Amino acid sequence: MHSDARPPLALTLAAIGGLLFLHMPIVLIFLYAFTTEDRSYQFPPPGLTTEWFAVAWNRADIWPPLYLSLRVAALSSGLALVLGTLCAAAMARARFFGRDTISLLVVLPIALPGIITGMSLRSAFAIGDIPFSTFTIVLGHATFCIVIVYNNAVARFRRLGASMLEASADLGANSFQTFRHVILPNLGSALLAGGMLAFALSFDEVIVTTFTAGQQSTLPIWMLNELVRPRQRPVTNVVAIVVFVATFLPILAAYYLTRGAEETAGGGK
Amino acid sequence: MTPAVEFQSVSRHFGAVKAVDRVDLTIAEGSFFAMLGPSGSGKTTCLRLISGFEMPTSGAVRIFGEDMGTVPPNRRHVNTVFQDYALFPHMSVRENVAYGLMVKGVDRRSREARAEEMLALVKLDGFGGRRPAQLSGGQRQRVALARALVNEPRVLLLDEPLGALDLKLREAMQDELKSLQQRLGITFVFVTHDQGEALSMADRVAVFNEGRVAQVGTPEDIYERPATRFVADFVGSSNVLAPAVTEAFGGPRAWASLRPEAIRLAPGGRVRGTVTGARYLGAGTRLEVRTGALPRTPSDHHDGGIAVLVPAGAAVPGVGAEVALDWDAGALHLMGEEP
Amino acid sequence: MSGAAHPARGPGDRLTGLFWRRPKLLTALLLLPPLLWLGVVYIGSLVALLVQSFYSIDQFSGLVVPDFTLKTYAELLIPSNFDIIVRTVAMAAAVTLASVVLAFPVAYFAARYAKGRWKAVFYLGIMLPLWSSYLVKVYAWKLILAKEGIVTWAAEGIGAGNLLNAVLALPVIGGNSLSTSYIGTFLVFLYVWLPYMILPMQASLERVPTSMLEASADLGAGNWRTLRSVILPLALPGVIAGSIFTFSLTLGDYIIPQIVGSSRFFIGQAVYSLQGTAGNIPLAAAFAVVPIAIMLVYLTIARKMGAFDAL
Ligand SMILES: Nc1ncnc2c1ncn2[C@@H]1O[C@H](COP(=O)(O)OP(=O)(O)OP(=O)(O)O)[C@@H](O)[C@H]1O
Ligand SMILES: [Mg+2]
Repeated sequence: MHSDARPPLALTLAAIGGLLFLHMPIVLIFLYAFTTEDRSYQFPPPGLTTEWFAVAWNRADIWPPLYLSLRVAALSSGLALVLGTLCAAAMARARFFGRDTISLLVVLPIALPGIITGMSLRSAFAIGDIPFSTFTIVLGHATFCIVIVYNNAVARFRRLGASMLEASADLGANSFQTFRHVILPNLGSALLAGGMLAFALSFDEVIVTTFTAGQQSTLPIWMLNELVRPRQRPVTNVVAIVVFVATFLPILAAYYLTRGAEETAGGGK
Repeated sequence: MTPAVEFQSVSRHFGAVKAVDRVDLTIAEGSFFAMLGPSGSGKTTCLRLISGFEMPTSGAVRIFGEDMGTVPPNRRHVNTVFQDYALFPHMSVRENVAYGLMVKGVDRRSREARAEEMLALVKLDGFGGRRPAQLSGGQRQRVALARALVNEPRVLLLDEPLGALDLKLREAMQDELKSLQQRLGITFVFVTHDQGEALSMADRVAVFNEGRVAQVGTPEDIYERPATRFVADFVGSSNVLAPAVTEAFGGPRAWASLRPEAIRLAPGGRVRGTVTGARYLGAGTRLEVRTGALPRTPSDHHDGGIAVLVPAGAAVPGVGAEVALDWDAGALHLMGEEP
Repeated sequence: MSGAAHPARGPGDRLTGLFWRRPKLLTALLLLPPLLWLGVVYIGSLVALLVQSFYSIDQFSGLVVPDFTLKTYAELLIPSNFDIIVRTVAMAAAVTLASVVLAFPVAYFAARYAKGRWKAVFYLGIMLPLWSSYLVKVYAWKLILAKEGIVTWAAEGIGAGNLLNAVLALPVIGGNSLSTSYIGTFLVFLYVWLPYMILPMQASLERVPTSMLEASADLGAGNWRTLRSVILPLALPGVIAGSIFTFSLTLGDYIIPQIVGSSRFFIGQAVYSLQGTAGNIPLAAAFAVVPIAIMLVYLTIARKMGAFDAL
């Protein structure tokens, strides 16, 4: 649907209003990171300062959660990259019995609320007497990241089509050579985009993590604790900015990587 | 001499669709072999049976006497020029052409030299650094050709390689392909649904109909002596005469074909009729003539009429004119028992 | 250059031959790791959840009794627990309805009028809030809705301070400040899940051919008629797809009501506190099954209405 007609004024205002509604809170976070007030969320801020960045930098309790979050995000998106790509490749190959079931299975971990994924894993750990560790966090994250990679890869596989792969085999390449020289270069940017989105999703995840982390603290869990029992509010604001940027940059990169292709990354969250 | 390709009662069925059905074929080494037939008649499937992208439901495909039953496409000494060219978009033209050598482990310097040679062969010297997206349709087609030929295949398969080209380019490429084939001595198997292309380029033609081979022969065989009504009609739109009509035209009671260009307008000819239509073709005019004696038969594609080709330069009677038709005795070609 | 076939070189060629003869084998091999993962880790865990929900807890020792019982599910029906379920479902429904209303102009504008630069602006403008940090977004609302925050400031600035107080004085949905009331919880839910409604709605609206709108106009239908009898029905699959997200995400969230809201529990909070400090994993599991059950019913209906084509 596309029209050359001019939109009604009310619609334009409502649409732009909607967009502003989506962005205004994020802008506010940036403002609050510079406030001089550290006991309340007073607006407008009584004064502005940059000291909180230095304070946050020197807070020893921020670094371990940051490292843990980075490690978890890297491991989960790596795993999701492998599993999601394999699944997409299989789905691109042929129509086979149970296709719909498989695509449902892939989507389920993000279609169902995070609390279910989290509580399910928690139940399984309880039944299996599995102690909490980085591994238990990754288990949960990789599960819901698979679909992100899968969605990106499936669209690209579809565009790659069968004839390119046949041409490669026809010219003497075995399956592995075809994968390395034809599939991978054509899939590369879609996979990179999928991996980045998965990274962003994992880095930011808090609901599933609270069920699978035990006593460990990722950066979002650290933030959650600060929100419930604030100590230095502006430091939390600074960390919020860091988390925001750490998720924002991969998303933007993913957008530019897949721009122009008819499928653009991110629709599948 | 062992034939280059041999089909022994090969079938390929997709569920209820008999894409290829009990086909026997022999393609001699060094020949230019055309597979001709309407859309959906099984030509592409036959080609894919040779290249290995389809496996026979039953029967055997042999290449130089060797059963291909267990040989995957990448190990067959056969290469394909795909209908949509299937060039690799992420590689330069040179890399595309060198691809087959690369996967065989030929070192970069020699494979690129070979690629350049091949590009020169298809008259694309200097295009090696471009991407396929930067080429015209005809140029892409040549790249696809060079990319296949660099592997020195013993059989080259071409699936409607000229289908996407405009008429002029098409004719130029027909000549080029033909001379290339003669120079290299490689067996070419060429799929087309254009009968002119098949007749002018091939040494032998197989006409396909609904997954079966209706006739195999030289272009002259196919054109002059069609074995079935289908061949007669599909190749050059011949007049197909039902047995009763053949009899009325002075032949025996059997199916026959009569080429439009074999018929002359001559006063005192064998059959009289009325011109009901005329279509100017440039090289001549095609008349539709209704002969009074002609009964309508359901299988008669010319609607009870008979097509006559009047060569350019000759006088063309107008619609409604009374004419008499004549032909040499040998022009009436009788076809075997109709399947 | 003799022979019709090259010899197989190495295991790569041999495996290729095998895959060629048995195409299903390769498909199966490709599927094996992801299916194992999803099957064992995810489905396995879901089963564990179900199993746990049929266990019960010993009143005296506080230990889980691994025997099949429906006792735990019966506990869901006692008034204090059932209230939690009703409260959560009501909130999910309210959030879904409000997001349909709010999403429509954005989706409609983006689908029908945005082009070129604006198309990209709208795309990123919806995508970035969708993907940016969930916790940061929730946090931002804590700042906005705080008693000393921007909303109070703005209300007083335009002389609507009394109105705000009047709203907060309402029973049930009011509270001490916006950030401790249901209104606040509702606003944050609405904000956080809104992009999940806009995107599928936009996707289904984009598939409405302009000619269909013109045909409707030709038939003399006014703008409202066209909207009501042509555009809305065609947008319905997108609305349903979007509502799956808004509904299910609201049902399962426990962070938002914890940070912005009154102290009364939603399902998610109940699950979290039961499995944690209370140590009652069976009841937590039974609570977690409730959103699954609701969503399964919802998905079945949505599937019948063709909502999945718009995803
Ligand atoms: N993979 C397949 N699955 C099912 N049916 C198929 C498949 N490939 C081909 N067919 C069917 O087999 C028949 C022959 O197809 P084929 O592609 O060989 O025809 P063709 O002669 O090449 O036609 P065209 O001139 O249109 O290319 C068609 O009816 C086609 O629909
Ligand atoms: Mg074909």
